[in-house]
Amino acid sequence: MNRNKTYNKKNIFIITCVILVVAFILITRLSYLMIFKSEEYGARAQALHERERAIKAERGKIIDRNGIEIAINKPVCTISVIHSQIKEPEKVIKILSDELGLSEDRVRKRVEKNSSIERIKSNVKKEDADRIREMDLKGVMIDEDYKRFYPYESLASKVIGFTGSDNQGIIGLEVKYDNILQGIDGTILTLTTAYGVEIENAAEGRIEPQSGNDLRISLDVNIQQYTEQIALKVMEAKSVNNVKIIVMNPQNGEIYAMVNAPEFNLNDPYKMIDEIESEYIDIDLTEQMESDILNNMWRNACISDTYEPGSAFKIITTASAFEENVVTVDDTFFCPGYKRVEDRIIRCHKAGGHGSQTFVEGIKNSCNPVFIEIGARVGVDKTYEYYEKFGLFNKTGIDLPGEANSIMHKKEIIKAVELATMSFGQSFQITPLQLMRSTSAIINGGYLVTPHLGVEVISKENNNVRKLNYDIKKDVVSKRTSDIMKDLLEQVVSDGTGRRAFLPGFQIGGKTATSEKLPRRSGKYIASFIGFAPANDPQVIALVLIDEPKGMYYGGVIAAPLIAELFDNVLPYLGVDAKEETQN
Amino acid sequence: MGRTAGEVNKNRERSYYDYSLLFLTLFLVCFGLIMIYSTSSYNALRKYGDAKHYFNRQALLSGLGILIMLFVSRMDYRLLFKKIPIIRFRTATVLYFVCILLQTYVIVFGEERYGAKRWLEIGPLSFQPSELTKIAVILFTAFIINLHRERLDKFTGFLRVSFFIAPLIGLVIVEDFSTGLVLVVVMVSMCFVASKKKAYFIISGLLILGLGVGFILLASFRSSRVLAWINVESDPLGYQILQGLYAIASGGVFGKGLGESMQKLGFIPESHNDMIFSVICEELGLFGAVSLILIFILLIWRIFVIAINAKDLYGGLIAAGILSHIAVQVLINIAVVTNSIPSTGIPLPFISYGGTSAVVLLIEIGIVLSISNQIKISRPM
Repeated sequence: MNRNKTYNKKNIFIITCVILVVAFILITRLSYLMIFKSEEYGARAQALHERERAIKAERGKIIDRNGIEIAINKPVCTISVIHSQIKEPEKVIKILSDELGLSEDRVRKRVEKNSSIERIKSNVKKEDADRIREMDLKGVMIDEDYKRFYPYESLASKVIGFTGSDNQGIIGLEVKYDNILQGIDGTILTLTTAYGVEIENAAEGRIEPQSGNDLRISLDVNIQQYTEQIALKVMEAKSVNNVKIIVMNPQNGEIYAMVNAPEFNLNDPYKMIDEIESEYIDIDLTEQMESDILNNMWRNACISDTYEPGSAFKIITTASAFEENVVTVDDTFFCPGYKRVEDRIIRCHKAGGHGSQTFVEGIKNSCNPVFIEIGARVGVDKTYEYYEKFGLFNKTGIDLPGEANSIMHKKEIIKAVELATMSFGQSFQITPLQLMRSTSAIINGGYLVTPHLGVEVISKENNNVRKLNYDIKKDVVSKRTSDIMKDLLEQVVSDGTGRRAFLPGFQIGGKTATSEKLPRRSGKYIASFIGFAPANDPQVIALVLIDEPKGMYYGGVIAAPLIAELFDNVLPYLGVDAKEETQN
Repeated sequence: MGRTAGEVNKNRERSYYDYSLLFLTLFLVCFGLIMIYSTSSYNALRKYGDAKHYFNRQALLSGLGILIMLFVSRMDYRLLFKKIPIIRFRTATVLYFVCILLQTYVIVFGEERYGAKRWLEIGPLSFQPSELTKIAVILFTAFIINLHRERLDKFTGFLRVSFFIAPLIGLVIVEDFSTGLVLVVVMVSMCFVASKKKAYFIISGLLILGLGVGFILLASFRSSRVLAWINVESDPLGYQILQGLYAIASGGVFGKGLGESMQKLGFIPESHNDMIFSVICEELGLFGAVSLILIFILLIWRIFVIAINAKDLYGGLIAAGILSHIAVQVLINIAVVTNSIPSTGIPLPFISYGGTSAVVLLIEIGIVLSISNQIKISRPM
């Protein structure tokens, strides 16, 4: 057997030395990495581990003029399971399916799915979520969120609007004021594993969310509710498609109520209301059809739909004529029941004619030939100048999305016939709100307001209140014309076609209208009435539109009484008291 | 430890047993288990629903390995070169043929994992024959050298040894290049130890280096690894190494603390395997990493001391072989993890997960302890 000789030992020593040298090189390399590269690689590793998770900010509330909450938030929870952390899957399945009212199969599928995180249910009531939280189940995660809630459900639904799953506004004020209402989400900086699972107690930074601002609107819940009741009543009585009522302060454009009956439930906006559902009961709806129907249901017709204003537009024609001094209240006119304009015969609504009458009588009778005459006296150029002044070529600028503009003839093509029909409100279309805005300017002393809902933005952080300002266009009509118009329109109600809007003790001004819908001779009408009170110093203006009434369809007969009914309650509510002496 | 003099008064002599080596080994095994638990618990929970899945398996096999080690350490290693009575073959020779058989079998019927056939399934256990081949190479090289030690002074002698060992290494290298490389280094080191002349080692060393580089450049699989090594930050193949570098660098001087690694949470795939050193760096910092390297150096130092004090050339050669085996694996593993050389799959001895590897390494330490046990030292009066 060979001996372990000295040279063998020397060789082993050489090998060991080589090993030591290499080891030393590696230690140097390691030190370089861990000291000099530490910061750079460390930061990159950190970036790999960090995830930002949003903490939802609470959306601002919408409150009415008196501070009553119209749109608020309810805390809700989202319940998820983290597969790898579940210790007792059977218990988790049992509890979650019982507590959340889900089928056991459905929960089981999610619990047993081998994914990093699986959502079981969102929008869970906080009480339910708290109960689950108390059971302290491993692997069950509860995230808090807010869900928009509308305590009055269908109140002013098409005005207020609703929000989507991410709490973003979809229609109405919710979308118009989305920037103001929406808060700034906070973030939690957490560490996650390579599979995206958050590591408990490893939160590194937290930026608190900032709640959104509250919005105070001019709407009055009481007036709105009352107005909606009136609308629903007439809808039922006259089996009407829909009723639109706008109630506004003509002095500043603040909208007190805007009704588009039938309204829908803001807390369940994707469910068709019964009136609509019954129409499609036998039809298999495609997704596209359903979405069209819903979009139509959400439509705010007061601002998005145009119509021929009919006789109510005579207010504009009259005001223009008085501004131009082409008529006085005592001018006499003769109505044989029609008026010949060029080669056309345009009929008055009274077949036999009104005979000889003063202008005052003409407006009380709503006699078409009278307005054709004064319209012609004003002429095309001046008429369009006044339309422009009354804001009829522009949107009203209301703070709601989806406003439509008027549909007018091109000035160049207007001949005597067109001008004649326009002077009593036919052959063009405007929105109800445009009519209301123009009328307001005529009766408030001559300035054009911007109809609006938003009044104040209230910051929750520091209770800072920011008033919202709206444009006013002055000197649209003179004070004199305004006074004459108020007087004339009061007479329409006290002793004319608008007499059904008369309310003992109050001075009410107004004008009836009955617009035949296109195509003509379809027998479909829009009965409407625009009224204001007190006539000498208007505090409130209201416009009622009844769409396709069955049976009697004259605005003076079915729309005017609604104004009386409305003002009977609204005027005292607004602090306008009945006067004793006018009682008899 | 220069007190090997066996010729001193018999009465004053006693058997030596290197307890330092034993305890260093036990320490490394325990430390390895802790790190395996730390690195694997998250992934084990994800995959098997049991955080201790890998830990338990490794602990069981380590325990078995320690028992075998203690048994082997009390045996005379020279028995390995004595003929077994009935079959009249030497243990080393038997092992040599068994390994050739197993390696052939595994290439044909082996269980394919990670794109290579390296495993044999025996019931619930899987076994890597290439690990056993490491012992076979060390023992059989020692045996062959011992038959004609003097021939190694010439290059032909070295070729003779290579000729005998070639089948063993060749069968390994087919499926597992890096293990094959380790075996070559072990064999060459042992020849180097046995040889009086060194000139031809330098020549053949350069030759092997040239062949290695040639091989790397020729085989696209290898050279794509070389590209990944150079462009570790952008090459998709460099992902694992880059994640390892992130782990190492974010450890800093004192580390994040035991169990606090982020990179083990799925960022480093299979962080309990070859990449375990990077997690050690992340959790224990430069301090922990250098300490671990120093413990390995201490271990190697103990084996070196035993090797130079071995009673015969057999002992010296075997100890030197085992020394180079452990050292090469430690150095290559750390070099790979620190991206100092192109990536290749070599586990960190005693620390990385792997049952066969742990048992084989413990047997090797057992043999070294057995060599130490044959050293006679004089009792100082």
